[in-house]
Amino acid sequence: MKGSVIIAATAISALAVAGCGSSGSSGSSASGGGSTSCVATIGMEGPLTGPVAVLGQEQLHFAQLALSMDNQANKTKISLVQGDTQLNPAQATTVTQQFTSNSKIVAVAGPAGSQEVEAVGPLFGRAGIAFISGSATNATLTTGKYPTFFRVVSKDSVQGPQDANYIVKNLHPKALMIVDDQEAYSTGLVAAMTPVFTAAGVKVDHQSVSQKTTDFSSLVAKVTPATTVVVLPWQVASNAQQFGRNLAQQHKKALIFGTDGLFSPSAFTISSSYVSSFGPDITAISADAAIASAAKAKYGSFGTFGPPVFAATHVIDEAIASVCKSGQTPSRSNVLAAIKKTSEPTSILGQPISFDSSGDLVNGKFFLFKINSAGKYQLIPG
Amino acid sequence: MAFFFQELVNGITTGALYSLVALGFSMVYGVLRLLNFAHGDLYMIGAFVGYFVIQWFGGPSALTIPVPLLLVIMFVLAAGLAGGLGVAIERFAYRPLRDAPRIAPLITAIGISFFLESSALLLFGAQFRVYNTSDFMSFSSGIQIGSVSIDSVQIMVLVLGLALMVGLRQLVSRTRLGKQMRAVAADREAAEMLGINVNFTIVATFFLGSALAGVAGVMGGLLFNQVTATIGFIVGLKAFTAAVVGGIGSLPGAMLGGLLIGLAESFITGYISSTYTNLLVFAFLIVVMLVRPSGLLGQAQLQKV
Repeated sequence: MKGSVIIAATAISALAVAGCGSSGSSGSSASGGGSTSCVATIGMEGPLTGPVAVLGQEQLHFAQLALSMDNQANKTKISLVQGDTQLNPAQATTVTQQFTSNSKIVAVAGPAGSQEVEAVGPLFGRAGIAFISGSATNATLTTGKYPTFFRVVSKDSVQGPQDANYIVKNLHPKALMIVDDQEAYSTGLVAAMTPVFTAAGVKVDHQSVSQKTTDFSSLVAKVTPATTVVVLPWQVASNAQQFGRNLAQQHKKALIFGTDGLFSPSAFTISSSYVSSFGPDITAISADAAIASAAKAKYGSFGTFGPPVFAATHVIDEAIASVCKSGQTPSRSNVLAAIKKTSEPTSILGQPISFDSSGDLVNGKFFLFKINSAGKYQLIPG
Repeated sequence: MAFFFQELVNGITTGALYSLVALGFSMVYGVLRLLNFAHGDLYMIGAFVGYFVIQWFGGPSALTIPVPLLLVIMFVLAAGLAGGLGVAIERFAYRPLRDAPRIAPLITAIGISFFLESSALLLFGAQFRVYNTSDFMSFSSGIQIGSVSIDSVQIMVLVLGLALMVGLRQLVSRTRLGKQMRAVAADREAAEMLGINVNFTIVATFFLGSALAGVAGVMGGLLFNQVTATIGFIVGLKAFTAAVVGGIGSLPGAMLGGLLIGLAESFITGYISSTYTNLLVFAFLIVVMLVRPSGLLGQAQLQKV
């Protein structure tokens, strides 16, 4: 009997608290309509300093731009905490530990590199924080091992075969060299591309160099006259630029084919090279004209690394806004649930954004560019 | 055979660079018994000086002065600034610890290395600075023997590197300053009692060693094009290894060690695979150390400075 009274009292208290919460949330719900604020904090992880700081800064700028535009459109007050990973898994782990221990952070845009996702995936998973990368493309990231991971770009199992098929069908090499840079991103792409080459009867010379290497003269000496294509699935564009110079230095005629990590119109400009990209050139998408001009006015020129992070941040912002509109206070769990339900019919990337059950972008694709004699990137249609 | 000679040229060029940096390591160790881990960062400073000289004179594709004059200014300024910085480091960081336990200056050296790297990061930013050497020194102006290409930058690095090594050797073995260096290296207290200005000798050693690192930095910038705040670490590590393999404190040893590492890297990449380059190079070096723990030329005491 005494137990029943306690249970009843507890139930009444719970109902009262729930009622208060509901009442409070109603205010919040009204905030979705614009009367009060929908307040939340999100994190942004990227290589803000270090060898690829140029890309990281571009990602940060586009995250800030998305936040500012979404806050204005949704009448939210979402703030951003920056974390510098330097494209280094160890540094990314440190930043992630700071983010997970900051109870205000409900979701994160980033990190940039696949190797970083491998490092931080378990930490975000344990903390129940959704994190959306705008550039991590390694296919193994979405096998279900990181349940809170999403990406707004396609994966290497799409990029690798797509690029390899283009090379086989359009460049017709009899022999090629493929060089990984000993990082997860690079080795993953090599693994995805090599079967396509061998199936097509192309002789493959697989080499490997550290991402910190800056002298490729010895490696370039191995490029035989029969080797007409050198595939560089790298992330440091200036390394590929140096590789191209070493080719010219030794009068080698092989073309360079770079993957999305090399997409950098300012740092990689070797004429006649090819570069694929997970992001389109948004300056060529008419619907993105306002965003492109705002980004250019505020931050100067940009490439393809920023827009996907804009998309990732936008997905988070919309998820937070929808949580507020449903009368709840944004938390890690309800924002995660809202991100899973994302269904944007169009986006800055020129394609719809929704995620499959493993966090991958549904119907994602890659874009291919050729560098002309003036060092400019030109989109190859198709 | 052409492939062999191409890899030989590549290896000697890279090796000459390692040798120049290794010489500074060895010189400083010779006089102070100090492993100056900040030495690689002086290479980085030299590379930045070269870069900014190119920009100062209009940039790589629009130079306002003749290329030979530009190169002279780059090398002289890089040597002077890196040398001056080396002297300042000795005066303010190492000299106060000269009689402290050996671990103290060692930790200080690591600290100075981080200080220089972080300062460069703050001053120059994180992005790669690019020399764009091919814009003002054409690849076609080199030598082509069959299918072996030796471009003008490689020739310049080889000639200048060799000249500096020979010049340093002459300075140490034939001049008054060289004798003082050798005396301080052999026994600092005895040298002081004989009237040798030990402080001046150490300062001169630091200046020369650091200036060589600065020159090597410009060479590296011209050869590899890229300059960032972190480039000194790897070069410094390889130069340190070269100095140890050659016999630390021995100038010919440092030269030999640098060349050996450059050649080993080149031939392993060429004939085996780039995948195993570092693994096999360092395995080879471990074997050398096991067979000759004092380094290849480490017992040639007369060569110490």
